[in-house]
Amino acid sequence: MFKGLSLFFILLLSLSAHAETWPAEQWSQGPKITGPALESLETYAFPTRDDSTRKGIRTDALLVIRDGQLIYERYAGPTSADTPHLTWSISKSLMATVLGVAYGEGLFSLQDPAVKFYPALENHPAITLADLLHWASGLDWQEDYEYAPLKSSVVAMLYTLGHGNMAAFTAGHDEYAAPGQAFRYSSGDSNLLSAALKNIVGPRRYPDYPWTALFEPLGIRHAVWETDATGTFVASSYAYLTARDLARIGLLMARDGRWGDRQLLPKDWVAFNRKPFAGYRAHQDTAVPGGQWWLNRAVDGAAQPWPDAPADTFAALGHWGQALYVIPSENLVIVRYADDRDGSYQHNELLKRALKAFAGKVQP
Amino acid sequence: MSGFVRRRPFSTLLLLLLIAMLGWIWQERVALWAFPDIISAYTAKEYCSCRYVMNNDAAYCRGYVKQWLPFSGFSDDEASKHVTVSGMGRSNSASWVGERQGCRLVP
Repeated sequence: MFKGLSLFFILLLSLSAHAETWPAEQWSQGPKITGPALESLETYAFPTRDDSTRKGIRTDALLVIRDGQLIYERYAGPTSADTPHLTWSISKSLMATVLGVAYGEGLFSLQDPAVKFYPALENHPAITLADLLHWASGLDWQEDYEYAPLKSSVVAMLYTLGHGNMAAFTAGHDEYAAPGQAFRYSSGDSNLLSAALKNIVGPRRYPDYPWTALFEPLGIRHAVWETDATGTFVASSYAYLTARDLARIGLLMARDGRWGDRQLLPKDWVAFNRKPFAGYRAHQDTAVPGGQWWLNRAVDGAAQPWPDAPADTFAALGHWGQALYVIPSENLVIVRYADDRDGSYQHNELLKRALKAFAGKVQP
Repeated sequence: MSGFVRRRPFSTLLLLLLIAMLGWIWQERVALWAFPDIISAYTAKEYCSCRYVMNNDAAYCRGYVKQWLPFSGFSDDEASKHVTVSGMGRSNSASWVGERQGCRLVP
């Protein structure tokens, strides 16, 4: 009897360990966290905000999901839980996730030449979709803005010479390296992926595809994705989601592309997203590029970019401090929206304080 | 020629600089011609999205799009959600397209 009872409890324990919480129409609320660790996080993320000088750390939203439940949420400035906030370059990782659904439909393979789906790349026939996902097209792109506006490819693409057809503007660049060899962060590469998607899924499905493939299955109701004049999604920059909705993408990624009992993204797709690009050299960027996601991995002789976070941490990052951090080993997803106009904000510092406040409280 | 250089070293230097500058201008003519559009196009597009996609109030969005370069004219037609900005001798407009597509620069 006693033996049977203990077996029952072991079963019960293992059941509860495997019971997963998923958001329904709303996130379910987890246990409320308080204490000095949380205060330290808030001191860092929410200092007094000065909208006239726009100096320092200016967090618009900070939201934390643990074990599939909302355990922390705070908004500042004009942003609220209902604001579809500009994600800037988080859009790139979102487009990769949309592409992952198409990949799961068997519509393309990673080694397919991009020109197969985007004929305007006829002068660059060797670029594969994997190269674009690695920001390794070899196209001579200048990502710097603000400091070098005359030579900035991205400013010209978004606002002047390229805004009507951003992928064609990118395809018009010369090559500086053989495709697939070298990393150079490029918003152009991401928009070539968006243009390729048009023929991958077909022009009829394309205008609704991010919604039908990704947003609707995840229960995301308020996504906006701006296009250029040809109707191509601006995958580099212009997706807008509420913080709560962006966290759903994070949970999908934290759970290896699975949403409930549906494997929305093939596991090998997520593995590709999370594998460091071999052509990346130490300190080329603030984190290590995978397939349109940023990784906290020690590669090429350099230390982890965020030493106070676990090595399995990965992120989607955008201009002015936008971030979606995913930490599968801690079952954590963190969304941060911001309007940082200087370089004060440090990913590692936020992660360090967030982990102190939220990590390892439920798992035995 | 070498006599001219010796007699007029400064004029020669200035002449060379002028030639180099003209060469640079010619080489960068496309980027230079597009450059004055940046401030008005940026302001029109990002204001439109701040106001009509993110649904922030007008005063906040005016501050949000402020850059080190000033713009001169600004008009926002709230009824048609159409924003026009001028600066550096150019004018650009952005318009709200729809619930899913947000704002876009008008060609």
